[in-house]
Amino acid sequence: MTVATDLSVTIGSLKLRNPVVTASGTFASGREYANFVDLSRLGAVVTKGVSLKPWAGNASPRIAETSCGMLNSIGLQNPGLDVFTQKDLGWLETQDVPVIVNVSGHTVEEYAEVCRKLDGDRRVDAFEINISCPNVDSGGMVFGTSCPEAASVVSACREATSKTLIVKLSPNVTDITEIARAVVDAGADCVSLINTLLGMAVDADTRRPKLARVVGGLSGPAIKPVALRMVWQVANAVEVPIIGMGGIADAQDAIEFMLAGATAVAVGTANFVDPTSTMRIVDGLTEYAHSRELHKITELIGALEV
Amino acid sequence: MTGCCGTGEKGHAGDQSSLERVDLLSNERIAEGVGLMILHAPHTASLVEPGQFVHLRVGRGRDFILRRPFSVHRAHGEQIEILYQVLGTGTLAMAELGCSDDIDLIGPLGHGWDVPENIDHALIVTGGLGAAPLGGLAEKLAAQGVAVTVAMGAPTQERLVGRDVFEAVTRRVVIATDDGSEGEKGFVTGPVARLLDEGSYDMVYACGPEVMQREIASMCAKADVPCQVSLERLMACGIGVCLSCVVSTKDGLKRACVDGPVFDAGEVCWDASEIPPKH
Repeated sequence: MTVATDLSVTIGSLKLRNPVVTASGTFASGREYANFVDLSRLGAVVTKGVSLKPWAGNASPRIAETSCGMLNSIGLQNPGLDVFTQKDLGWLETQDVPVIVNVSGHTVEEYAEVCRKLDGDRRVDAFEINISCPNVDSGGMVFGTSCPEAASVVSACREATSKTLIVKLSPNVTDITEIARAVVDAGADCVSLINTLLGMAVDADTRRPKLARVVGGLSGPAIKPVALRMVWQVANAVEVPIIGMGGIADAQDAIEFMLAGATAVAVGTANFVDPTSTMRIVDGLTEYAHSRELHKITELIGALEV
Repeated sequence: MTGCCGTGEKGHAGDQSSLERVDLLSNERIAEGVGLMILHAPHTASLVEPGQFVHLRVGRGRDFILRRPFSVHRAHGEQIEILYQVLGTGTLAMAELGCSDDIDLIGPLGHGWDVPENIDHALIVTGGLGAAPLGGLAEKLAAQGVAVTVAMGAPTQERLVGRDVFEAVTRRVVIATDDGSEGEKGFVTGPVARLLDEGSYDMVYACGPEVMQREIASMCAKADVPCQVSLERLMACGIGVCLSCVVSTKDGLKRACVDGPVFDAGEVCWDASEIPPKH
C-alpha cells in the first residue's frame, strides 16, 4: 500500500499545502484565473505588486517576445493599497488559499508603510518585498543591487510587521549571495529568486527598441539556467527557505528548482502561455512524488547530488 | 487614477471564456500576406459576439511562447474564422500550420461591438485587415434589420479581404484602394467624409490602422455621430492580468483585452502615441 505524499512545505510561519505559488505580476490576485485554476489547490497566491499610492506604469509597448521568453516593462502599474485592500483582499478572503502580498515602494518608508498598514489584516498571510523590479526609476532594483540599501528596506519592513517576510532578489548583481545574506541578516524569513533579468530587444526594420522604455525584464524558459544556478548558490549561502522561480513551465522544472535548494516554486510567464500551468505542475509534482515513493515532498529540497 | 488597475470592476475575462482545444479545418492564403483560418471551436463559436477575440497558441515549443490575439471574423455553427496578416515569426509559423497540428485557444475574450437597439443605419469602415472583427458585426446588424453601409480601404484590390461577407449583407459597399486598382484611389477616409456628409448614420464601426481609426474618430466627432473602434495591442495574458495592452482613455488606462478591444472612439486619448504591434 502506498501512502499519499505529504506535499506541504513551510515558509516562515506560513504552511503551504504544496510548493506551487504564483509569481507576482503574472496572476493579478487570481480572480481572472478562476475559470482555469482551482485556487484552493495552490500553495499560495502571490499578488501583483502593491504600492502605497497608485502607480501609472510605463509607456507602451510594454512587452516584446524574444527567443524562449519575453521582455516586459509594465512598471508596477497598480491602483494603490486602498483599492487593493478593498477589492482584491475582499475577494481573496472568499478563496481558500494563503495570500502573500507583494510590496513595492519608491522609498524605504513607502515599503514599510504598506507592511504596517496590512500587518493587522488577517487576510494577509505574508509579504514579499520587491527590491528587484528593473522597470522603475526609483525604488525597485535600486534597492536590490546594494547590500546596505537592501538591508535598510528589509529592516524597516521587519519593524513594521510580524508576518512572514519574503524578499524578492534581483539577478542583476555580481554576487547574489551577498544580497541574500544582507537581507537575511536584516530579518528576512525567506528569499524568493529570481526576478527578471535586464534585457533589450531591437527592431531592425524601424531601428527602434521594441519596448518604449528601451530596456525591460526578461522572463520565461530562456532564463531558467541562470535562475537554477542562483537558487543553488543562495541555498548554499543562507539558512532560510527559498522560493525559486525563473522559467518554470512544468513539474520537471519545479523539481529541478527544489533539488537545487528551493522549498517552494513560483510560476510566472507560464501562466500567460497556459493559464492552467499551476494546476499541471501540482499534478505533475504529485505524480512524481508518488512514483518515487516520497513520504514528504520536502525530501527533494536541496537533494542535488553534486 | 481610475481605470489604473489590474482588477477593475469590469475586470475579468468573460465568465464564459475557457481554454479550448481546437481542430484546424483549413488555413489558406487568400491574398498577399493574408491568411484565413477556419477552426472547429464549438465552445467559442457558440458564445462569441462580434468584435470579441480569441487568444491563440500556435506552437507547442518554447521558441516563441506567447499566444496571439485574433478577432473572430465570423462564427457559424461550431466553426470560427480568423483573418490574419503574416507580419512576424509567429504569424509566419501560423501560416504553415496544418490540420494535424496541435492548437488551442482561450476564448471568447474581450468586449465586442455595442449594438444599441434603436439604430437604423450603421456605417462600417475597414482598413486592410481591419475587416477582421467586422464580418460578424455586418451579419448581425443585417439580421436585426439595420441598414448597413460599408466603406472598405486596402492597399490593392487583392487585399480587400472580407469583401464577400459585406457584399452578402449589403449592396452599399464603397471601396478605396491605395493604388486605385479598384474604387477610388486613396485612403478610405475620402469616401467616409462624403458618406458622413450625405447620410444620417446612427453609429460608425471602424477598424484598421490606428492612424485611420484616429482620423475616422475625429470625423465622426465633427459630424456628431457616435463611433466605436477596435484597437490592437500586444498582449501576453489576454485576460486582464499582465497590463501589457493598456490603452490611454479619458478615464485612465484601460486594458484592450477585457475593457476592449472595442472602445468608444470619444473615450480614447488618441494623442498617446502607439507603435504598431508586429507579431
